[in-house]
Amino acid sequence: MSIQSCLRKAQSSRGILFQCHRYVASTSSAAPPAKKSQILHSSCAADTVLTGLNYLKNQPPILARPDEEYPEWLWTVLRPKELEDDGPGGRKERLERRRENKQKIRERNFMSTQ
Amino acid sequence: MSKSAKAKDQIVRILISAGKAAPTPPVGPALGARGVKSMDFCKEFNARTAHIEPGIPTPTLITVRPDRSFSFITKTPPTSYFLKKITGIEKGAAKPGHEILATISLKHVYEIAKIKQTDDHMSHLSLESIVRMIVGSARTLGVQVVP
Repeated sequence: MSIQSCLRKAQSSRGILFQCHRYVASTSSAAPPAKKSQILHSSCAADTVLTGLNYLKNQPPILARPDEEYPEWLWTVLRPKELEDDGPGGRKERLERRRENKQKIRERNFMSTQ
Repeated sequence: MSKSAKAKDQIVRILISAGKAAPTPPVGPALGARGVKSMDFCKEFNARTAHIEPGIPTPTLITVRPDRSFSFITKTPPTSYFLKKITGIEKGAAKPGHEILATISLKHVYEIAKIKQTDDHMSHLSLESIVRMIVGSARTLGVQVVP
């Protein structure tokens, strides 16, 4: 409703420029679904030659493939692994406890040198 | 009657350039000390690494039996070698974690992992585990991994 009142005012002053703006606003709802299917995961474009990986003789150069051909877990590898919550005796609790114990040992050893 | 001590197999771990084993320094004394004829080993090694590009460092595990016969296994080149070759750096960082010498893409890491998985001692691991191992190696070299 406010848009329409703005347009009425704009039509009297700017005319063409604001009409173009209204045209863009009505078609923007169609654009996002098309773009979402092409989210780029990688900075490396498809068909880049990957050098340094040929260690066999007469091997054809290895090309990077498009992002969709790589498994989904590849993009999560740079973040620490998220473990499922197993409950009281589960793997996640064990690993976290071990990590804390190791960290405490390191701190204790450091403090003993101070 | 005294029991003779059970003679053990001796294991030698050595990094040799593929196709270029020679009786001289790195290989010669290491094997000669164990009683292995270095010429025999070199011929067999070069024959077995004939399909690899010459000059690439190949880790080998040589088992020398008490009767001076030997057998050996070759493995895929070290991960650090691949990372250095892809990024073009000569040596790793002097202060890993504080210095970033180069960047590498996750796609490179995926391809390295595929090569490493062909190794016997890595064949039971999932590709995701191997990729995470390589990311760790890159961190210690001072190579940053970007998606």
